[in-house]
Amino acid sequence: MRETARPAPRFLRLWNIRFPIGAIASIGHRLSGVLLLFVLPPLALALERSLHGPAAYAGLLAELRSPWLAPWLFIAAWALAQHVLAGIRHLLMDVGIGWRLRQARASAWMVLVAALLAAAMTLGWLA
Amino acid sequence: MRLFAGQSAWLVQRLSALVVLFVLLLGVGHLLLGRGGYDAWHALATSAHGAVLIVVGFAALAVHAFIGARDVVLDYVHAPGLRIALLALLGTLLLGVLTRVVLTLAAAGTASPLGGA
Repeated sequence: MRETARPAPRFLRLWNIRFPIGAIASIGHRLSGVLLLFVLPPLALALERSLHGPAAYAGLLAELRSPWLAPWLFIAAWALAQHVLAGIRHLLMDVGIGWRLRQARASAWMVLVAALLAAAMTLGWLA
Repeated sequence: MRLFAGQSAWLVQRLSALVVLFVLLLGVGHLLLGRGGYDAWHALATSAHGAVLIVVGFAALAVHAFIGARDVVLDYVHAPGLRIALLALLGTLLLGVLTRVVLTLAAAGTASPLGGA
């Protein structure tokens, strides 16, 4: 046994666990993907309403702009932006672009910030 | 070929992602740059190219979502019965969404409120 080995932690100290930014981007991709699953049924129903005549179309738009729906729309828009941007980041890494640690850390930050901005901009655009 | 397993699943996941991304970008482009309003949207969704793009987009989305959610289920759920149940639920949900989209577009295409069949 090495003398410099650190003693095994005796408790699960959650505040001592560090998530590197890449891990956060990775779990964000997974979380947003699962969230988007729950968006699919309402999306199909919204598509149906949007094509069911001018009145149904106008009603759908009015509902999308109602304040009680705003938090849900923000979550859905964040999930979509996060998943798409992190997905593009993964695809670029697959073809050999930006996989080095510095670039990967920078792009992980960019994806997290851009997704939040995109979600906010979507709500602003709808309003 | 086992489309949803192993290396082919990895490839299908990326190809379907590109298809979804393509349709999504067209959709966002239409929202930002296209003519707004019901008539323009209805005309687009009931046109041959519009309907095909929407169906292809949702089909790719269903495949992509199935592989992705399957990976999540296999990572976190280890009881075989629960695994099968969740995967069956997932498949039903995705096939249901896709069917609904196809039926919606078919109905909108044949029963135009502006007069048609």
